[in-house]
Order: sequence, then C-alpha cells, then structure tokens
Amino acid sequence: MPPLLRRILVLLVSLFAIVTFNFFLFHVIPGDPIRLIARTQKLAPDQVEKLRQSFGLDGSLIEQYFRYLSNLLHGDLGYSFSLKEPVSDVIGRALLNTLILLTVSTIIVVVVGIMIGVFAGSRHGKKADSATVVTSLIFWSLPTFWVGMLLVFTFGVWIGGLPISGITTPNAVYHSGIDYVMDVARHLILPTITLAIVDIAFFIIITRTSLVDVMGEDYMLTARGKGLTRRTMVWKHGFRNALLPVLTASVLYISALVAGAIQVEVVFSWPGMGLLTYNSVLARDYPVLEACFLVTAIVVLAANFGADLVYRRLDPRVAVNT
Amino acid sequence: MTSDQAAQGIDDIEYEKPPSNWTLLWGDRMGRWGIIILVVVTVLAVFGPMIWPFDPAAVGEDSSSIFQPPSSAHWLGTDELGRDVFSQFLMGARISLFVGIMATLIATVIGAGIGVMAGFFRGPVDSAAMGVTDFFLVVPALPLMIALAAIFGQNLLIVIIVIGALAWPRTARIVRSQTLSLRERQFVPRARSLGASNARIIRTNITPHLLALIVANTILVVAGCILAEATLSFIGLGDPNRISWGSMLHFGFVSGAVGRGAWWYFLPPGLGILVVVLGFTLVGQSFERVTNPKMRGGA
Amino acid sequence: MSLLEIRGLTVAYPGKHGDVLAVDGVDFSIGKGEFVGLAGESGCGKTTMAMAIPNLLPRNARITAGSVVFDGADLTTMDEDGLRTVRWNEISVVFQGALNALNPVHTVGSQILEPIRVHDRGTSEAEARSRMEELLEAVGIPAGRAGDFPHQFSGGMRQRVMIAMALACRPQLVIADEPITALDVMTQAQILDLLRSLCDRYGLSMLLISHDLSVLAQTCDRVAVMYAGRIVETGPAGRVFGSDEHHGGARHPYTQRLLRAYPNIRRERVFIEGIPGYPPDLTQPQSGCRFRARCDLAIDKCAEEPTLVDVGGDHRAACWRLDQAVTS
Ligand SMILES: Nc1ncnc2c1ncn2[C@@H]1O[C@H](COP(=O)(O)OP(=O)(O)O)[C@@H](O)[C@H]1O
Ligand SMILES: [Mg+2]
Repeated sequence: MPPLLRRILVLLVSLFAIVTFNFFLFHVIPGDPIRLIARTQKLAPDQVEKLRQSFGLDGSLIEQYFRYLSNLLHGDLGYSFSLKEPVSDVIGRALLNTLILLTVSTIIVVVVGIMIGVFAGSRHGKKADSATVVTSLIFWSLPTFWVGMLLVFTFGVWIGGLPISGITTPNAVYHSGIDYVMDVARHLILPTITLAIVDIAFFIIITRTSLVDVMGEDYMLTARGKGLTRRTMVWKHGFRNALLPVLTASVLYISALVAGAIQVEVVFSWPGMGLLTYNSVLARDYPVLEACFLVTAIVVLAANFGADLVYRRLDPRVAVNT
Repeated sequence: MTSDQAAQGIDDIEYEKPPSNWTLLWGDRMGRWGIIILVVVTVLAVFGPMIWPFDPAAVGEDSSSIFQPPSSAHWLGTDELGRDVFSQFLMGARISLFVGIMATLIATVIGAGIGVMAGFFRGPVDSAAMGVTDFFLVVPALPLMIALAAIFGQNLLIVIIVIGALAWPRTARIVRSQTLSLRERQFVPRARSLGASNARIIRTNITPHLLALIVANTILVVAGCILAEATLSFIGLGDPNRISWGSMLHFGFVSGAVGRGAWWYFLPPGLGILVVVLGFTLVGQSFERVTNPKMRGGA
Repeated sequence: MSLLEIRGLTVAYPGKHGDVLAVDGVDFSIGKGEFVGLAGESGCGKTTMAMAIPNLLPRNARITAGSVVFDGADLTTMDEDGLRTVRWNEISVVFQGALNALNPVHTVGSQILEPIRVHDRGTSEAEARSRMEELLEAVGIPAGRAGDFPHQFSGGMRQRVMIAMALACRPQLVIADEPITALDVMTQAQILDLLRSLCDRYGLSMLLISHDLSVLAQTCDRVAVMYAGRIVETGPAGRVFGSDEHHGGARHPYTQRLLRAYPNIRRERVFIEGIPGYPPDLTQPQSGCRFRARCDLAIDKCAEEPTLVDVGGDHRAACWRLDQAVTS
C-alpha cells in the first residue's frame, strides 16, 4: 500500500475512534444526560424536548449511536439551550477565531523557538546555552492563564495601552477593512504574547536538545572537516537533522498549544473554542461542550496528520521506506 | 608501570563504588536547586497551615475587611470575602502538591503497567496497547479533562482521577521502548532458559532496570499534573470546597482582583505554581541526566 | 621538502587526574605523493594525532606543544578562517566510523558538490556537476545515483562515496582514519585498492590509519607505529615488514607483537596471537618505555625514556633492547 494511502487510512480510523469515544463520553457514561443537565439547570418543557431531540435519546444504544453518526455526517451538532442557536453555528464562528489565534502564535512560536533553540544548541556547554535552558525551564513552568492575568494587570490596570478583552473594540465604527483588521490585530497582541511566552520555551528546549544530539553526530565532523562556515554547518547540516525529532514531538506541542489557547481565550475573553468551552461548562450546556470537545479533537488530529506529512517530506529515510 | 601496578589499576576500576543517584543529583547544580525548592515548599505545605493563625475559610466581618493590602496581621492581605490570603496560600500549597502527586501515582501505575506489558509481550498485546496509548496521546488532554470533570462533577477525588487517567501515555511509551531493549539483552533469554515465569522475569529482570527511568519520568509528570490541576481549578472545575493555588486564581479572576489591582491575591498563587513546577522539572531533568549514562557524558 | 612536518606535537584531553596526553611529543612527516601508514592498538592516539593536523580535534582537546607545518604554514597557530580554506581544499578526511559520516538528509551528490562550491568558487555549476559525476564513476558508483540518499547505499558503497567526497577538491593530503574497519573482508580489499590507485592517479599524499599492520603492509610506502601517544617505530614499509630480504623487519617488540596479532588481509593466517595485557591507562602519568609492562624483554633500563634511533635506511625504533629484539 502506498504510504500516503496508509496514513490516510490511519487518520480515518483515528477519526472514527474519536467520534465513537465522544459518543461514549457524552451519551453513555452520564446515563441520562437530561437528568445530568437538570441537576444544575431549570429547564422549560420545550427545552427538555429540544434536548431529547438533540441527544437522540429514544431507542436502543445501537440505534442512538447510528443516529448520532448520521447527525454528525449532516453537520448537525445539536442545539444550544443557553445560546438558543444550533451548535454548529456557534462552533463555526468560534473555530475561526481560535484558528486565527493559533495560526499567528504558532508562526511566532516556531520561528522564535527555532532561532533561540538553535542559538543555544549550537553553543552547547557555554554560558549562553545554560542561561537559555534555565530561562526556558522557568517560562515552561509558568501557568499560561496566570501569565495572561499578569498581562491583563499590566496593560489593563497598571500601564494600559493595549486591549485586554475580546476580538474587537465594542461599538467601534470601521471606515475600511484595514481599520477592522488593525483592530483585530491589536486585540490579538496580548493573547498571542501570553500563548507564545510559554510555548516558545517548550519549543526552545526541544529544538536545543535535538540540535545538541545532532551536533555530536559523525556527519557534523565531516561538515567541519569540509571547511564550511559555522553557519552552514549549524543550519544546513545540523538544523535540518535536528528538525526531525522536533517534528516528532509536535504531538506534545499541539496538545500544549490547545491547552494554552483555552486558557488564553478565557483570560482575554477571546471568542473562540476555548471561551466557548469555558462558557458551556459554566452554563452546563452539554451539547456545546460535546461539540467543542469533538471539534477540537478533530482539529488536533488533522494538525498531527499535517505534522506527520511534513516529517515524511523532510526525512528521506521514511519517505522511501514505508 | 609494572604488571602489579596494572593489576592495581584494574582493581581500582572494578571496586570503585559508583556514587548514588542522590549524590549525583546533589552534585548537579540544577538538581540541587530543584531539591532545595521542593524541600522548602513541602515544609511550608505540611507545617504552614498548622502554625499560621488564620483560618483560610474565615470570612471577614464587614466590607472594610475585603481586598485589604498586606499588613502585619495579614501578610498577604485579604480576598474578596475578607479571608486571609496567606493562609489560603499555605493551604493551597498542600492541595496542589497532594493532587499533583496522587494523580502522578495513578498515571505512573497505568503508564508503567501498560508500557511493561506492551514491551514484554510484544505482538498483539503491544499493538493494542500502543494503539490505545497513541489515541490518548493525540486526544487533546485539557479539553478531555474539562469534559470529564464537567460530566463527573467536582470533588478532589475526581480531579485526581481525571488528571491521573490522562497523564500516562508518555510514561507508557518511554517504559515500553526501554522494556523492549531490556528484553533483548542477554539475561532475559537466560532467565527464561532457567525456567523463570514471565511474572518473575518482569519482577526481577525488567522492573529493577526501569526504576531510574520511571522515577525521572514520574518527577517530570508531577510538574505537569500540578499545572493541570491549577488549570482545571482556574476554569472552575476544581473541588469548590478545597483551596488550591488554581482555585485561588479562579476566585481572584472572577472576583475582579486583577481589575482592582489586588496583586497580593493573584501574584502569590501563580508564583507558587511556578516555583513548584520548576522544582519538579529541575529535579526530574537532572535525575534523567545523572542516571542516563548515554547523556551523562555530556553529548 | 616534505608536504607535512609535525614536530614535538602534544595533544592533551582533560582527565580525572590531570591531562591525558593522547599524543605525546610526536615527530612525523609526509612527503609529496607519499603514502604513509599509521598503526597501533585502539586508544593509542592515532585518531587524535590525525585530527590534530587540520585541527579537527574534539572541543575538549588542546594542542599543548609542537607544530604542524603543512605546505610551509603552521596549522596549529592558524585562525579558523585560515583553517577553513585548508580543510578539504588541501587536506581532506575519510573519517573513522564513516558509516554515519554522510548526512542522512542530503543526497550523496549534493554532499560531494558542497566542498567544490565552497572552495572552488570559480567552478561553474555544470563543471562542478560533471566533476562530481566523474568522481562517483571513479569510485565505482554509477553517476545516476547522485540523487540517492546515504541510507540507500551499502556500507562499502557509502565508504566509496566518502572517498569520492574526499577527492572532490583535489587536496594534497588525504587522511583516511580506519577507512575499512566496519566493512567485510572482500570490501576492505577493494576499498584499499581504490584508495591507492586514486591517490596515485591524482598524485596525492595519504595518511592511512589502521590498527591492523597487515593492511598497511599492502598499501603504504612508509609506516609508523604508535603506542600510548608516542611513535615507537617508523620506516619504509619494506624494511619494517621484513619483506625486504636483507633488512630484518620490525625491530620494536611492540611492532613484532602487533604483526603477529592480526591475520593477513589477503592470506588468512592460521594462528593469531593476541598481545597480553592492555595499553597503559593514559589518565595516569607515564614515564620510560610505555610498553615495558607488557614486554617480555623489559629490563630496569626500560624505566628510562627511549628515543628513536636509526637502525639503517631511514628505519628507526625507540627501544633499549633493539639488540635482543632482532633475534626474538
Ligand atoms: N574526546 C575525548 N575526550 C577525552 N579523551 C579522549 C577523547 N578522545 C580520545 N580520548 C582519549 O585519547 C586516547 C587516544 O584516543 P584516540 O586518538 O581515539 O586513539 P585511536 O584512534 O588510536 O584509537 C584514548 O585514551 C582516549 O581515551
Ligand atoms: Mg581511532
């Protein structure tokens, strides 16, 4: 079987596993979800009816499962009683906002993390290296949400100057598309910094460790023997190889990034999947919570698939052999 | 050198007692700092609440007692209900450490168990175990924790179980690959040829060699579990009847302590988390370095 | 004048009890077009000495004394920029453990092209490519495989690629550090023949390192034997190996034991005699003849430092018992 086809098959199996897992998590484990919700919510009769529909609670478990699958395939994620909207509409907006946040911070994290990681790793054993490692470990030990709180305090209360909440200025009038984009960009600054501060540290540590390993390889001595400049040695020969373990660790990174995004969105009221998750927990809006989990898991799965494809492109040994 | 001297030299090599892991750890600068941090925090967490005179749950008498800045009576001031922040901080250290360590124990038992089984029995057991492991490695942990905590309700035990039940996949992977390589070594076939049972081989030939690896990994997992507890509590999914650093920050956040500039309320718990997580990370990484001969040479 | 003149070279690694002198006051030279072998057990300092020439030592190593004069310039005092122009352009290396000496993520073709582009700036892209293909063909690899990655080649083939790469800039000196150790016997012989014929064809000098003297006997004009950081015997291959009827052969007891310790590369010997004991622990300070603890002929005098003495025809050995060693 061609490798790509195999990867896609594995992806589909994982997707199926996630969907099934989700069914068990929200439909089987809690027993009767309506009772669960009724524990914390006063429900009007019509809401109960909507809930019953959205959970597909009649019939055997098998029937429920297939109805659940068919609903998913039709893009029907149920109805949010706290927002009085179909869940898929709510998710659609939130997902877009989260992807904006994640894309911007991932680019910053990867670029800055690699630069600093390579800087430290190529100076293994020197002061600059150990200082970078210690600093990174400290930043990596920071709770993301707390960093966010500190920035809110600093820029909202103490110094001021940067928006600390939401994605746009409330009641703003935009004269052009650029205005709008600039406003969003300004709102993006603090959430991105918060997310980046912690995750860059992680990226630095992984890149640096990987490069240190690679620098000890025989082919690095060859590169030095060839009379290459340090820069060519480090980037063309060292970094290209060091990148592979970094990509292998992307599972951890993607998971950390999602966790970070949830916290950042809560602290800065960024209207994405994380804030939606948070609000649905507070409102005990299970259909929304369920959809949030499912969609996040699928996005993460896709991201890992992408990282795997990149890995396969970059490592000739895997590309040819499997 | 005479042949006597040569023999002497060999004796030196053979009988020189290797320093214990703890000695090596103490000799490593990062390890030493980590140990110091952890000892100080543990002492604070265990004895602090016994000594400090305020009840962390005692609400202030009137509105003049809320959000009071630090004073000689209340070293870290008071919160939105006039409760003493420093006593909450001490109590929070206890709960944060307790949850982190208990969750890690669960994770280690699951992870090491699955890893050893997969690595030792290989074949279908391995494929099945690694399939499950990879699944949990890919499922985003925090959203799953949130979902589980929201479904099962909020108390300390559930928080511990939820965190522990999701923190094991990396341990399983690491333990599995080490078990695989241990299994290939000479002594397993030999033990088998002497008629040892699987259980016995695992107990006497595999587990002891995994110990250092598991300890290093466990220490690192504690750091992650403490962060996970803090995050869950911050989101409001912690045990509402217990004070942890995460829940302090939750109440600080929702009560508007940040907006009021009540730094004494939201700085200490965050610093506490930072320092403890850093302590475990330093010790764990340093332990890994000093016990892993491959890395000890300073590659 | 020789191409390379090493004088009193001393290289130290930091050790538990002070410096480890992996190379201890070595004099050594290589003439233009000469093929010199360096032998000795593992750990004797061969790699350290060889890597000291283009200053490719590990970071913890220090050259504490001596000079390495190559083509009139002392490389030990040259700065990194100067060394970069010498490396590969003038002195190239086929590294020990060469199976990992090729970068796994670049094609072999691009790895051979790289030094050409770096050092021969004037060369056009097409010229460089055709030189690369020519080199591959010269080492017996079809030029069509230039786009393949190292893992697609066998060990012997990878070593051929390394050799092609080492010749890419037409250096004056090629250092080959145990170039055949990891290979099977058939391949070993082929690689040796290849090295010899290519160096002859291009008129290069070569420093060939092996722990196996018989390998050097087949290929080299001159050999040197190293023990515990010192050269204990050196001379024309014909004299040292005794293939020259009238000139006795190896004179130093260590060389003699070494000769008996390995099977001949092409004619398998029936009986292999190991050398009892181990080379001295260099972390301890050394004095006198380093070999005396393992030497059957050792006397009290051996506690004093022996020097290399000429035993005729540019053949020199450092031993107090040369008189005895001849007959043993
Ligand atoms: N990077 C290093 N650090 C410390 N000691 C080293 C290092 N490389 C080699 N040595 C020591 O130097 C001595 C000579 O090693 P080497 O030059 O590799 O010998 P050979 O090539 O003959 O096997 C050995 O005793 C070895 O332990
Ligand atoms: Mg060597």
